[in-house]
Amino acid sequence: MSDEVPMTQDSGRRLALVWIGLSLITLLSWWLAGGRGHATFDRNAGITFGVLLLAAVKIRLIMTDFMEVRHAPPLLRRLTDGWIVLVIGSLLGIYAFGVGLRP
Amino acid sequence: MQQVIAAQSATDGAEPQTDERVVPGQPDMWVFVLFEGLTFGAYFVVYMLYRMGNPELFLRSQARLNPEFGVANTLVLLTSSWFMARCVRSARRADYRAALVNVSLTVVCGLLFVGSKIFEWSMKIHQGLVFSTNEFFWFYYFLTAIHVLHVLIGFVVLGVVMYQLAGPARRSQEIVETGATYWHMVDFLWVIIFALIYVMR
Repeated sequence: MSDEVPMTQDSGRRLALVWIGLSLITLLSWWLAGGRGHATFDRNAGITFGVLLLAAVKIRLIMTDFMEVRHAPPLLRRLTDGWIVLVIGSLLGIYAFGVGLRP
Repeated sequence: MQQVIAAQSATDGAEPQTDERVVPGQPDMWVFVLFEGLTFGAYFVVYMLYRMGNPELFLRSQARLNPEFGVANTLVLLTSSWFMARCVRSARRADYRAALVNVSLTVVCGLLFVGSKIFEWSMKIHQGLVFSTNEFFWFYYFLTAIHVLHVLIGFVVLGVVMYQLAGPARRSQEIVETGATYWHMVDFLWVIIFALIYVMR
């Protein structure tokens, strides 16, 4: 999609679609983790990577559409995308390499 | 299909209540959002480090939570953000009645969120799962409580937005957008808390 498009008045439908998408992704992450009553509590890298990457997608949607970052100058887009990559990347890195602290 | 309003001029500092402005709300709020993002990011990293230090304890403790609360909380907050985005859009179209209705619905969702958290905490405390139970529950109470604190601050922010929208002489699109930016931050921080506390394994 073009980044040149200025704010439009007619984005109600798009906002509704984003909201539906965010809700479906939330239900998908719950389903990934076993849903109601079937959840298991064993270490599972597939679930962890899945839900954290889905979280990254959700946050990006909230930022681009609800927070209107997609209409913002490139600097703001780079900062917000950079934050997502930094935080989700650190969490997945710590998980993947099993770097742990014991109190 | 979509009506394109106004100019392409992207970066010049436009007046509030026009459609040319590109940074939503006051830039100061974005500095605050990035600051909060880094602070919460550090909490999340510390959580993950402790978790990896004792993964079995965290998994066992997670099994004592009711994930339905986490899912419902997430859906409620996402819905609140949608209403807030609709409020910004309505205010931009000078439909202040719709903007007020939408910001009020945002507040209702926020209250549902806080009510549900209080209910969930009292349930867990009743089951003997308290802050001092183990490391998982330190983080469970700390992360959810500091997040609820941000929701409570959000009510003040939304109150300012409502006050602005209610009086014709006070209306400022910039203030509405600034409040919305804060509220959406509370939403996206919860998205990570949900993944870390309730669903990761």
